[in-house]
Amino acid sequence: MPEIRLEDVRFAYPGGVDVYPEPGLTLALGDGVTALVGENGAGKTTLTKLLIGLLRPRAGSVTVQGEDVAKATVAAMARIVGYSFQNPDDQLFERTVRAEVSFGPRVLRKPVAEVERGVAWALEACGLKGREEVHPHDLGLSERKWVAIASALAGEPQVVVLDEPTLGQDYPSRERLRSLVAQLADMGRTVLVVTHDMDFVGEACSSTVVLSEGAVRYAGPTAAAFADRDLVDEAGIEPPHVTSLARRLGLGDAVSERAFLAALGR
Amino acid sequence: MEVTRPALVFDRVGYAYEEAPREAVSDISLTIAEGEWVGVTGPTNAGKSTLCLLAMGLAPHFFGGRLKGGVTVLGKDSRQVSVIERSAEVGLLFQNPFTQVSGARERVDDEVAFGPECHGVARPEVEARVAEAMERVGIAHLAARHPMDLSGGQLQRLALAGLLAMRPAVLLLDEPTSQLDPAGAAAIFDVLAGLHQRGTTILMVEHRLERLCELCPRVVAMAAGRVIADGPPDEVFNREAVQERVGIPVFTRLARDGALPRPWPVRVGDAATAFAKSIA
Repeated sequence: MPEIRLEDVRFAYPGGVDVYPEPGLTLALGDGVTALVGENGAGKTTLTKLLIGLLRPRAGSVTVQGEDVAKATVAAMARIVGYSFQNPDDQLFERTVRAEVSFGPRVLRKPVAEVERGVAWALEACGLKGREEVHPHDLGLSERKWVAIASALAGEPQVVVLDEPTLGQDYPSRERLRSLVAQLADMGRTVLVVTHDMDFVGEACSSTVVLSEGAVRYAGPTAAAFADRDLVDEAGIEPPHVTSLARRLGLGDAVSERAFLAALGR
Repeated sequence: MEVTRPALVFDRVGYAYEEAPREAVSDISLTIAEGEWVGVTGPTNAGKSTLCLLAMGLAPHFFGGRLKGGVTVLGKDSRQVSVIERSAEVGLLFQNPFTQVSGARERVDDEVAFGPECHGVARPEVEARVAEAMERVGIAHLAARHPMDLSGGQLQRLALAGLLAMRPAVLLLDEPTSQLDPAGAAAIFDVLAGLHQRGTTILMVEHRLERLCELCPRVVAMAAGRVIADGPPDEVFNREAVQERVGIPVFTRLARDGALPRPWPVRVGDAATAFAKSIA
């Protein structure tokens, strides 16, 4: 059974921007790490907000883990879906990193031991150990981003949605993120990553969904998405750097460094 | 040899923010000639954004703190000019476009006009500049929208249009395409390449090393508030200290992991040549 299902979803913002025109958006996602890509304004962030009930569809249905989002409260959805915003400043408001990261599970009235376990795991996984007592606004953009990600993980949700997690991140930070999403996938979680960072998509995401003008243009294995040149051109995306090199060398469409070196026989 | 005037000079600069126990940048000496396109990169807390704020004069004028050494931009010492005066010639694109928009304007085109209007540019000239800047960054169709209704990527383009309308001689760009899709980012880099060709000096912070190597003839690598390497990208990214502390472009890492001889390539074209040679 898919973890996330959208059926004929229509949505328009007040003031008229029609995000998902007729016949509406339909998409089913299983577990593992999925990238959500597409040009600015394709409807990526809107889709993620529909998953947690922050936005409600005008028509159609959104189901996450069998839960109909239209009927569930935001609190009920927060138990299932952990969400980190594109702009961490939309999300952070507590006085310390620890208070911020533990806010979600505390509000959900989880048992203390469970809160502590989730918070400790999230702080460690996000490289924030030793930064617990710092005020989030004394941190740089990259670390604030990590606080937002840790907050999304602390409640140990089954579904994790990360909007532009690599934004402003340096290389070690991106590596940390890559191993974090792999770890979540190993734990059987569903991870959806909204990103423009195609290298990250190729390295870290086994499936990819391509949105274009409010419709799903592609949903399937990542390698096949980048191999489809018409899709890449029309959806305003680009292949990972390693793919451009592989093509120049006639080594096929490798999307990760490992695949490239394997094709090279090294 | 043609002698070019320096656009930016950092002379043994150290700077600590108000009440900060340590300096954010230390012992920075850099000279950037007029018309250069210099990329700045480094890990979190390397001091890259601080370098931009210093060049703009916001540090120390707005942020307070302690400045050591001298920052001179287009011949003017930071201590002697206000940020307003400098903003006639120098534009800074903030890392987060949400902090760039004035908040005082209700239409995109009025927001783009904000800078030139504040500087008393004549109305017909403002209109011409606004139209040109919006066209260039691809937001002409959004002219009547409210800035706060834009997506992250659209807002970033709006912020850049606001700077271009000022026709600055020096552009300081803190991750100018962080919010943009690949096609949008490529379009912005085309705009920057055009400005570079017409002689604009560009200092650009960029995390994406592949982009940096492709675009910038000169790269400054920073770590922990100091410059650890400065030169052509091939040279900078073949240094071990840079690879360890800043990172390594995809093509360079593939060459290393694919056991190619040094020096390793940093751009796709050079990597293709080097790998082709090794396969043959």
